[in-house]
Amino acid sequence: MNKRHNCDKTCWNCPAAILKGNVDFRACGQSKEEIKKKVEENPNLNMVIECARRPELGHFEPNITFEQCPEWIETKYGYMLKEMRVMILGIDGYLGWPLALKLSKLGFKVAGVDNYWRRDMVMEKGSHTAVPIQRMTQRLQSAKEILGTNIEFRKIDIRTELDKLREFMEEFKPESIVHYAEIPSAPYSMVDCNHALKVQDNNTLGSLGVLFAMKDIVPESSMVKLGTMGEYGAPLTGRPIFEGMFPADAVLQWDGREWSMGGEMTPRNPGSFYHVGKVQDTYNVYEACRYWWLRSYDIMQGVIYGVHTKEMAEDKRLRTRFDFDEWFGTVINRFVAQAVLGIPLTIYGKGEQIRGFIGLEDAMQCMIRLIISPPEPGQYDVVNQVSAVYRIVDLAEAVAEVGKEFGIDVKIQRLENPRVEPDKHPMEVVSKKLEGEFGLDPKIRLKEEVRRMFKVLTNPEVKKRLEEKKHVVLPKTRWNGDKLEMDKLDEYEPGTKKFKLELKQQLDTIHGNDKELKGIKENGN
Amino acid sequence: MTKKTVIMGIDGAPYKLMKDLSDSGIMPNFKKIRERGSFKKLKSSIPEISSISWTSVITGKNPGEHGIFGFVDMIPNTYSLSFPNFMNIKEKPFWKKDDQRYIILNVPQTYPAEELKGVLISGFVALDMKKAVYPNVIIPKLEKFNYQIDVDSNKAHKNIDLFVEELFKVLDARIKTADFFWNEADWGTFMLVFTGSDRLMHFLWDAYKNENHKYHEYFLNYFRKIDEYIGKIDMDKYNLIMLSDHGFEKLNVEVNINTFLENEGFLVLDKEKKNYAMITKETKAFSLDPARIFLNIKGKYPNGNVEDTEKVVDDLKNSFESLEYNGKKVIKKIYKKEEIYHGNYIKNAPDLVLEANEGFDLKSKLNREKIFEKGMFTGKHNPEGFLFVNADENKIPKIPCVEDILKIMEELKNE
Repeated sequence: MNKRHNCDKTCWNCPAAILKGNVDFRACGQSKEEIKKKVEENPNLNMVIECARRPELGHFEPNITFEQCPEWIETKYGYMLKEMRVMILGIDGYLGWPLALKLSKLGFKVAGVDNYWRRDMVMEKGSHTAVPIQRMTQRLQSAKEILGTNIEFRKIDIRTELDKLREFMEEFKPESIVHYAEIPSAPYSMVDCNHALKVQDNNTLGSLGVLFAMKDIVPESSMVKLGTMGEYGAPLTGRPIFEGMFPADAVLQWDGREWSMGGEMTPRNPGSFYHVGKVQDTYNVYEACRYWWLRSYDIMQGVIYGVHTKEMAEDKRLRTRFDFDEWFGTVINRFVAQAVLGIPLTIYGKGEQIRGFIGLEDAMQCMIRLIISPPEPGQYDVVNQVSAVYRIVDLAEAVAEVGKEFGIDVKIQRLENPRVEPDKHPMEVVSKKLEGEFGLDPKIRLKEEVRRMFKVLTNPEVKKRLEEKKHVVLPKTRWNGDKLEMDKLDEYEPGTKKFKLELKQQLDTIHGNDKELKGIKENGN
Repeated sequence: MTKKTVIMGIDGAPYKLMKDLSDSGIMPNFKKIRERGSFKKLKSSIPEISSISWTSVITGKNPGEHGIFGFVDMIPNTYSLSFPNFMNIKEKPFWKKDDQRYIILNVPQTYPAEELKGVLISGFVALDMKKAVYPNVIIPKLEKFNYQIDVDSNKAHKNIDLFVEELFKVLDARIKTADFFWNEADWGTFMLVFTGSDRLMHFLWDAYKNENHKYHEYFLNYFRKIDEYIGKIDMDKYNLIMLSDHGFEKLNVEVNINTFLENEGFLVLDKEKKNYAMITKETKAFSLDPARIFLNIKGKYPNGNVEDTEKVVDDLKNSFESLEYNGKKVIKKIYKKEEIYHGNYIKNAPDLVLEANEGFDLKSKLNREKIFEKGMFTGKHNPEGFLFVNADENKIPKIPCVEDILKIMEELKNE
């Protein structure tokens, strides 16, 4: 059998390891200065740790591998720390809830916090989730009844109630913190000044507070932080979008001279005030790792889609929310909702924007693999969490094609682009770490998931809820601040237009380039 | 009324140095005391390491019985080093054997501090002050004295002035603390170990005899200060035992035993990995500090492959016997574990322990390129410590060793 991806990780990565200091046995003495510096600079020092879970080991060097340690047990996702304590910030959201179910079902101890803002903001914008969801107390009860899990929950606003969050951290002592508690919407941040302030305040300052709390309370825990591929923007030169940092062999040439760029942060080019906040988060997390020796994976997540996870499929009461309004709906989810509502699918401008995508269940798999394979103290790393790259026009075609299977005659409309962005550009995304270092095996096929979505959204109860809020589907939020419906540029039947692939569209995985280049046909079956 | 017992340790002080410093007037109080009792060489543990030696002192047992074989051990079934502490000692220390009141200050290998009748402040290695002190209500008092468990030896690597300054600061605080408990607490046995002496001699042995050395006077002053402390003890009132856990001598060259094992083909490392996890299946033997050789036995270690242990032991002995530096033999003696250890825990002992000839400092760092190196240390441990007891010679074994101290203590008490 193949070895698990994290079998060679050691106590050095393990959240149960408590760093105690350095000892220089050559001079029979101990040292009390900052640990990190010593190990790097002085090879004669031994790092000493204690294990929170195996106190009988006393002081030791952090070298036991996950494979060797009885506290780490083998699962299909890799070695997992027994009953590892994971705190999900933003547990009530589209991602937080399915992750809580999956982790708790797997035997993790799960605690979550949320301030219910997602519910409030969607309501503020006059919409609701198409898939009905229960109140949190009922959700927790349902999870207990159906899956037999026990998820702890506190209603906390991470930005304004940091004291409560700190108290909860003290009690629960998370070994990993999944940070989903940000407002996930570019258009919402572009509504007006107040919305921009709200998004950046909650997201950026809220996250900064969480970092301080981690430093004080659980410095050995890791933060799995949700960023977005949107931080990078879409470089018009077509240069590859690396995973956060330039690779070792990247070189900058200028004026006949050259410099290695290896390990430096790649440029960010955010496309909304929401994305700007995310970029600031990236730097805050990066610096916290540098200053305080925290550890974090920053996940540049592609556009997420889907309704399915194994746990949610067990019972309707366990489903996650499904937003389709212009602010909180993601593009594929919105396309399916539009198709069901008989609204021509809305593509912006030329519609040849290329984005990275990932299905909900694959994203959950990524999270588990990252949680159980923590970075080393002080390590900040970035993964591009993308399983395919698509042009928007091609996605519209794919959704229309599946719609036909459900007897729905789908049309496509091109609208003025409300955003300030190129609507035709090359895109090459590098996503090698998740497969290479974390053993990710993406399972979700686009069309299969779209089919599942049609099934859920054509259910009469859900369809009724879509229809009730039909008026929130078309975009009105322009990046210039105007609130006007977009002019329709064009409407066409799927399959009647040829969009020649003139610019590069490529995903670099460890299996070689371009698995998805040929587009949807190949992976849509 | 039985006399109270005072045990005073000076970590690493060699017999010869104690004799010379008292003869030359640097330690006049010790000179006076010395003449009124028995002053002898004390044989250290094998190897001569504080953690092993002090554990033998406080338990009266052989390492095979008390289970401490060095500052580092390997966690079973891994190549991860562990740092045994007080909880790993398998025998009771003397203060757990009766219900007397004890003050135990700065004895190495007593961390974390366990409950006892009296006070215990652990000696090195003790990384967390809160766990190093019993009862911990006295911590604020210690903070007032600026008490510190150990000198931060990393200071010496930065700047030797900083190190010397700290050495005296720590000593002053230690003496203040000792005075406080001596006078204020109720006790039957008082044990105090000065440990800065060991650090001083590691870094500044070359300053000891060289009058032109910048730190010559500092070196002597350190022992003058200890002598002042000795002067405060009225030896008629107490049973007094003074000792060191090992001796010291001039360091000529450091010898990297693992590099030698690599060169000889006994140790094969996978340089992609870290620390002892580098050990591969091709490895026959590896060494832990200072020169404790462990066979990579099949079933005992993750990449263990040695089945015919006797053959490997013979091959190792042959190799070590041939190790020379500038025409001088490096290894004086090679002990098999059965020759030096006995007891239930001998299974955890190193298969071989090397003893060096004078001047050779045996080390087991991994990944050193050269076998022979000069570092910044000028002094190294040797097996010859000192013992003073204010009693007749006949109360003391002819050639005493660290394991005899408890017996001597009992003997004095029963007088």
